[in-house]
Amino acid sequence: MTLFWLITVLFVGGLLAWLAERWQAAAPRWVALAALALAAGLAILLLSGADAMTAWPASPAGGAWLSELEWPWIPRFGISFHLALDGISLLLIALTVFLGFMAVACSWTEITQRSGFFHFNLLWTLAGVLGVFLAMDLFLFFFFWEVMLIPMYFLISIWGHEKRAYAAMKFFLFTQISGLLMLLSILALAFIHRQSTGVYTFDYFTLLGSRLDPGTADWLMLGFLAAFLVKLPSVPFHTWLPDAHTQAPTGGSVILAGILLKTGAYGLIRFVVPLFPDAAHRFTPVAMTLGVLSILYGAKLAFAQSDLKRLIAYSSVSHMGFVLLGVFAWNALALQGAVMTMLAHGVSSAALFMVAGALQERLHTREMGRLGGLWPKIPRIAVVALFFFIATLGMPGLGNFIGEFLVLLGAFKVSVAMTSLAALGLIAAPIYALIAIQRTFYGSARATRPIADFGVREMAMMAFMIAAMVWMGIYPQSMLEVASPAVEKLNRTAAVGAMLP
Amino acid sequence: MTADALIALLPIMVVAGAAIVVMLAIAVRRNYRLTVILTLLGLVTALATLPLAAERAPLAATELMRIDRYALFFIGLVLATGVAVTLLCYDYFAKREEQKEEIYILLLTTLLGGAVLAASSHFASFFLGLETLSVSLFAMIAYPIKERLPLEAGIKYMTLSGAASAFLLFGMALIYAEVGVLSFAELGRLSATADFQPSVLIGIVMIIVGLGFKLSLVPFHLWTPDVYQGAPAPVTALLSTVSKSAIFALLLRYFVVSGSYSYESLSAVLTFIAVASILVGNLLALLQDNVKRILAYSSIAHLGYVVVALITGRVLGSAFAVEAVAFYLVAYVVSTLGAFGVVAVLSVGGDEAETLAAYQGLFWRNPGLASIFTASLLSLAGIPLTVGFVGKFYVFSSGVNADLWLLVWTVVIGSGVGLYYYLRIVLAMMKSADGVATAAVPAAPAPLVGCLTLTVLVALLLWLGVYPGAFMEMLQSLSKTLS
Amino acid sequence: MAQTTALWPLIIYFAAVLVVVGVMLGLPNLLGQRSRGKATVEPFESGIVPVGDTKIRFSVQFYLIAIFFVIFDLEAVYLFAWAVAFRESGWAGFIEIVVFIFVLIAALAYLWLIGALDWRTRRQRRVESKINN
Repeated sequence: MTLFWLITVLFVGGLLAWLAERWQAAAPRWVALAALALAAGLAILLLSGADAMTAWPASPAGGAWLSELEWPWIPRFGISFHLALDGISLLLIALTVFLGFMAVACSWTEITQRSGFFHFNLLWTLAGVLGVFLAMDLFLFFFFWEVMLIPMYFLISIWGHEKRAYAAMKFFLFTQISGLLMLLSILALAFIHRQSTGVYTFDYFTLLGSRLDPGTADWLMLGFLAAFLVKLPSVPFHTWLPDAHTQAPTGGSVILAGILLKTGAYGLIRFVVPLFPDAAHRFTPVAMTLGVLSILYGAKLAFAQSDLKRLIAYSSVSHMGFVLLGVFAWNALALQGAVMTMLAHGVSSAALFMVAGALQERLHTREMGRLGGLWPKIPRIAVVALFFFIATLGMPGLGNFIGEFLVLLGAFKVSVAMTSLAALGLIAAPIYALIAIQRTFYGSARATRPIADFGVREMAMMAFMIAAMVWMGIYPQSMLEVASPAVEKLNRTAAVGAMLP
Repeated sequence: MTADALIALLPIMVVAGAAIVVMLAIAVRRNYRLTVILTLLGLVTALATLPLAAERAPLAATELMRIDRYALFFIGLVLATGVAVTLLCYDYFAKREEQKEEIYILLLTTLLGGAVLAASSHFASFFLGLETLSVSLFAMIAYPIKERLPLEAGIKYMTLSGAASAFLLFGMALIYAEVGVLSFAELGRLSATADFQPSVLIGIVMIIVGLGFKLSLVPFHLWTPDVYQGAPAPVTALLSTVSKSAIFALLLRYFVVSGSYSYESLSAVLTFIAVASILVGNLLALLQDNVKRILAYSSIAHLGYVVVALITGRVLGSAFAVEAVAFYLVAYVVSTLGAFGVVAVLSVGGDEAETLAAYQGLFWRNPGLASIFTASLLSLAGIPLTVGFVGKFYVFSSGVNADLWLLVWTVVIGSGVGLYYYLRIVLAMMKSADGVATAAVPAAPAPLVGCLTLTVLVALLLWLGVYPGAFMEMLQSLSKTLS
Repeated sequence: MAQTTALWPLIIYFAAVLVVVGVMLGLPNLLGQRSRGKATVEPFESGIVPVGDTKIRFSVQFYLIAIFFVIFDLEAVYLFAWAVAFRESGWAGFIEIVVFIFVLIAALAYLWLIGALDWRTRRQRRVESKINN
């Protein structure tokens, strides 16, 4: 039930926030915070259960599952409202709720018009994302996958910047069409299962054991892969991302970069490899190549940007390349690294977008050519920006380093060549990160009028983000432990699958 | 004619009776509100007799009509659509036209035609129902007789519809000449035993051509955008829902009962029609700037999706095809009524609200209507939480299950393209209205009846989208009754 | 095949008709003499040059009458069909035809009451009602 309420709280909160606007203009913000606080409470409840980590015999997958909920939904097709939670989901849910708070907080002064509808969309996106992280029925998964798109589309197209209509449309078409391909694969998988067993089902655990002939498995996997690689995004499919990130309002960028990209990575970990282990193994060289390409090409493009938000957006492409590499290296180390990278990148990129948003709110530009020399004027913003750019370039002691290091360590066992190429990304990252800092905050000042520095609200937000980042860097073990039973479990499933003739 | 048969035919007879009562009432005293109330009363009574008829189903009420649960389901759909359209017409025509009461007689006869089609099991009732439906529609389309566009649309529809009927009759004649029977069931029995290849096949193709005109399938779609644009918005809603669903119900029954699935070359023809409809409908919709025309092209594409479900019946057996077609049609009818309903409600003040510019900033001027429109458009686009998604799900599953990948890919491409133009309308509504001359659309208070109707429709759209289980079970049990 | 042979006479007849009509229409054009005067194509009416246009605008009521004829007179055809089978169709047939006639009467009443049979223009009606009052 906790899982159900976790999602419902946000859906209902969204509706209430919309209605609350009629009552008072500032009310939606408080409603949104209250809904998120409730969700956070539920997440903590689940987190406290994580220590117990009791084995769970009822689940077909055994162990590793902390909580489950299954209600019949559309019995005609064997579709059920099936939610389940393991360590990976738990971490991602914690990240989602955490960044949800940040998104509301950083829109506090930016969104002045139609704030009711804004918070409605914000909360519904988050609810959709939580659903994605929890759904254990493929139909339900697809359902939530799509539910999170529409509100995000509205966030970009209504509150975005100059080219918002174009960016929103591009975002929506890319994700929706790739989503349809995934739907085809889901359907085909379910029907193949029905042909062999005579039962309609979309249940993840039941479908895990489906035997597929290699040709079919390849096609089905490609369908899933299309959706996840677009969302991740990996290199040939990344073109929607810079537009969407740049044009979205700050709160939207925070959610987009911090959470939505992670659903793609989560899909790879949860569905692609466990459902199609053989096909995934056959695809590994291509996937790893794509990962390395994303790392290097993303870094190069980030370096070439003059728009601060675009630079951060391309750096996301680069970082998510590590996740792709880690997932397809497919050993416990690399997987742990991928999960860690997801969390760390979620926090660091969100924080960077908040900084960029704050600058835009104050200076009405994102062009680095028109910034510069800001350090003496706004030292607090500058320090925070420096901190997160350093985190993003992989400074040991902060979260991103742990994730990327683990990924490289894991990938090294699989392919030395790929790993050494990917490691070049660690050299490219400092280049673009430091250039961004240099062009934005150092040099001669261009703006003459005084600029407001971070206030109490913004510093409080940033303090939380910095604390999270340092926590991940200093004591990653706390998170690795939560994730590890699930990772082990997934790893075993895939290994067993790959062993089959 | 037994008493049972009479009771089974009660829904149809009540509608026919209602048309006469309304006509007499107008003759005695011309009162707009009374006319609407009588119309609604007639439709609700007809709906209330459906359970009575269902107790006696399945039953052959004369050779012409077969009242089974399939027929009753579609009669119910047609009548319920009629109720919605009546309510939408109420505000729309209230301030137009001098003699506006007659539209309800025509509405009732249109519904009568649709109901007859849904139950017909014989070429004679097939043709009678179709003509009752079409002839009433000509008059409804051209009802605002003093305006140019409706008149043009009415004449266009009448001419092409006449041509289509000629094809239809020729097809029937060819089949009758070869087989010598007019009843679908007889035809099915005879074609199962004997081989009537060439002329029966040509006959069926001609029937498909005729029905293709009425269903606006490519390449017989040319009239659609003009007529949709020209007709008054509530009539467009009727044209795009009742006539499509009733005719498709008949087409499906004909296919299943007369054994037309056994002709292999027929599915090639239908595949071509489906692919062409989906692609042409979606691609041409991209070029439009008029909301009614966009919806017209989108309806072409949607009928293409339904044809996909129809084709798969050949591989999957008729039961699944019936279920998929029925669900998709319901989804299509609910969403389309919602979309055209918003157009109708916005057009109450005077001019038709049909340009994209008229919708600019609607989200901030009238959030309620804009949300309803958005929900309907997203449902047409097949986005989850709406009934349209479940409909798409049915089409996809039937296509995937039947291994018809060409069709499945076409549906994927069509849906992708479709998103673009649906979102264009949504985007226009999102744009801030500050810069636009809002004088173009007078901020008339939205009519109460229309808004209530739309609210109910959207509630249905979301309910069936989130919790379709019970409805699916019903369709599943119903689909087995048609054979 | 039997069908095709049976069709042959029909086809030949059809072709013959085409040929004869073609010859009848084509030959005069080739053989006949032509005259091209000013009044050649004018209609001949007792030696008087016609005046005005042949396109006269009938009152729209004429068309209405034509339509009413189609509705009511042609529906009478059904009555014949019923009358021929009067005994066979029995009471059920009788009730059905009564319903049918009732519908026709209802339609007639409707037309009468909305004034479709009234040939006066709207202005005439208004004037007349003033006189009567």
